[in-house]
Amino acid sequence: MTLLLGSALVSAAVLLFILQPVVKGLHASLDRQEDELTDTEARKRVALLALRDVEYDFLAGKLDEVDYRSLKAELTAEALAALEADEESRGTVASDQDDDLEAEITSMRASLRGGLACAGCGFENEEGSRFCSACGQDLPVGAVG
Amino acid sequence: MTILGEYALWIALPVAIWGMALGFTGGRTQRGDLVLSAERSIYAVFFLLVLASAGIVAAFLGDKFEYLYVAGYSNREMEFFYKVTGLWAGQRGSLLFWALILSFFSSICVFQNRKKHREFMPYVAAVLQTVLAFFLIVLLFADVNPFERMAFTPANGRGLNPQLQNYWMTIHPPTLYLGFTAFTIPFAFAVAALLNGRLDARWIQLTRRWILVSWLFLSVGIIFGMQWAYRELGWGGYWFWDPVENASLLPWLTATAFLHSIQIQEKRGMLKVWNMSLVLLTFLLTIFATFLTRSGLIESVHSFAEDLKIAFIFLGFLGSVLAGCVVLILYRLPKLRSENRIESFVSRESAFLFNNLLFLGAAFAVFWGTIFPLVAEGVTGQKISVGPPFFEKVNFPIGLALLTLAGVGPVIAWRRATKRNLQKNFQIPIGVGLLVALTLWVMGARHGLALVTWSICAFVVTVIATEFWKGTRARARIKGEGYAVALYHLVTRNRRRWGGYIVHVAMVMIYFGFAGAAYNVDVRKHMLPGDQLEVVSPFGHTYTLTYEGLSVSIGKGQRNLLWQAIATVSVEKDGVRQDFLTTEKRQYVTSAQLMTEVGVASTIQEDLYLILAALDDVDGVIAADSQAQGIDLQVLVKPFVSWIWFGGLMLALGTIIALWPNADPRRAAVRPEPEPEAEATPAPAMAGAAD
Repeated sequence: MTLLLGSALVSAAVLLFILQPVVKGLHASLDRQEDELTDTEARKRVALLALRDVEYDFLAGKLDEVDYRSLKAELTAEALAALEADEESRGTVASDQDDDLEAEITSMRASLRGGLACAGCGFENEEGSRFCSACGQDLPVGAVG
Repeated sequence: MTILGEYALWIALPVAIWGMALGFTGGRTQRGDLVLSAERSIYAVFFLLVLASAGIVAAFLGDKFEYLYVAGYSNREMEFFYKVTGLWAGQRGSLLFWALILSFFSSICVFQNRKKHREFMPYVAAVLQTVLAFFLIVLLFADVNPFERMAFTPANGRGLNPQLQNYWMTIHPPTLYLGFTAFTIPFAFAVAALLNGRLDARWIQLTRRWILVSWLFLSVGIIFGMQWAYRELGWGGYWFWDPVENASLLPWLTATAFLHSIQIQEKRGMLKVWNMSLVLLTFLLTIFATFLTRSGLIESVHSFAEDLKIAFIFLGFLGSVLAGCVVLILYRLPKLRSENRIESFVSRESAFLFNNLLFLGAAFAVFWGTIFPLVAEGVTGQKISVGPPFFEKVNFPIGLALLTLAGVGPVIAWRRATKRNLQKNFQIPIGVGLLVALTLWVMGARHGLALVTWSICAFVVTVIATEFWKGTRARARIKGEGYAVALYHLVTRNRRRWGGYIVHVAMVMIYFGFAGAAYNVDVRKHMLPGDQLEVVSPFGHTYTLTYEGLSVSIGKGQRNLLWQAIATVSVEKDGVRQDFLTTEKRQYVTSAQLMTEVGVASTIQEDLYLILAALDDVDGVIAADSQAQGIDLQVLVKPFVSWIWFGGLMLALGTIIALWPNADPRRAAVRPEPEPEAEATPAPAMAGAAD
């Protein structure tokens, strides 16, 4: 008798528990939450991290100067694209105040936009250069001014 | 209580099926109520399985021998501890226990994600319930119901297999099960990602910690199993390429490959199909491992299964999961394209890729060697066994290549490494490796394979120590911290990276111990009380062993013991007296075979391992005949074995460091803390610092 009662109680409790949402119309959210990372944000993070890795590799002596510069230019361009995609998706400028990396990116972005990085090889040229110091290609006029 | 448990098992199945159906439908139709119900069904199944397991434990404690399972694995005399662990002592109970752990992990996963990652959760819940439903079907319909009753109630049970009445054996299976089942969570997220089409690196980042937890338990479980074999089986080794050992190694190999290859997907957006395949493969192998262990398909010390119905259910499940996932991957192929490609053959990406191929190669060899006897038996009708020589021949070179990569990977640059840099980074470690080999050669070591292994070990340790040194030094310089503080901060700022390096060091220690086997000494001698035996250790010192005599005690039924004969041996090392060692033969009620208990004296340098190989006159021993004292004593000297166990501890430490939660979970999920060097110095200054 106790057994029967126990079993009935267990099944009733389980049934009630799993059927309640359907019967009462309780809904679980199925959307991404506000405070979660978005795809573009995640992509941006990864791009920034890759940039850090290159710095680390260079500092640890794993990359030599030429490779470091060209890799860095490539990665900066990628990070920049990711950054802009992220800003676009959020409609605001990224505001990770604590991030010195963001500042780094912003300065790189300025230099990229200023045409200092060679479009051909990615080498970052001194301000005022007319030709790329690495491959000799013409640099955009903007760089001269 | 027990009947209520049985009842709970029966209602768990429809609840799991309900959850599976609602999870899939809810995800498809985006109906929150269905999804909530599916998620709740996971908690409900956990609750029901707790009831069922409690029912079994109650039956053990209450000596309810009308239950076939209880009668088979317990008796009145068994200690309380072994009655509780009886839940996973045999096939039936351990399948229930497996389901219990899986539902426990599933509940944690659903609870953790009740407010996060919601777009994955409907399918995650559905997949988890599918796997649970499968195990419930096995339990209820494959003649392995732990609640099965017999027509009569025996007066006493058969008791637990004495070899399993051992500390290691009670913790080894649950640890492995924790590892196996935890891997279901990453698998569920992977399938969810395939279903909802969010195939970026997020599903990996979300499950990273689960993957590490699973890997930790798998690794530790395997090492516990080795300990058990070493201490309990009494043949002097820790690994015999037994099918069940192999079964636990297989998912470990693919999971390790996966742990490495996900880093490329996160960093470079490559190898997406590969990672999907690896997570699927590892999951299938965890199920395959249970199948192999629990179906009795292969005869081995571990297999204790009854019939083949269960085999067909398992194979059916494995087949349908494989087919389903392959279809899903093919369907999502366009979304799984690589975002980048490998730029240079000499880069960290290609080192990772090479590592993966090696792990997969090893897994394939082990898999083939394990199932080949079955296939051959099916085709030719003759049973062939594939012994250790095959596995060793294939896996030694692969293992050494992997060990080498454990040193190459951390230093080689991402994307492409130049010749000059390779020289700069590897000159010293290679030099150290060669120096170690040379020194050992001069000291008289002549075993080629061991020399190569130790030399590579030295190489890897040098690489990793240099990494730690460089990082600590840079941090100490930049931040003005003391070296100890700098090291602490270095590790805590990027636990994943440095934790990983510690695991690499742990693997070096384990290999170091493995290679010691090349210098094993193995002597067997017939002895009478007072006889002496001299054994020379490979390190040059001499053990003088004196056989003191045999003492016999007749068991009182405790733990099923009939009698035990204990040989006492006094040990002198270069004339200095050491502790006595004992080694025993035991006779249990449950088995006609005599069991051996070994005596081990372990130091960091070597283990002295005594085996009572044979008794001259068994009947005389039981009758306590003073003339029946002659024995065969087998003495092994095994260099560096304890390094394997220390390596296991180190491995656990490194993994725990890697998965320790960071302060801010939201950031930690995606972005490990920046490297201290890069963090403190702006880019231009850095160029100067390196010059």
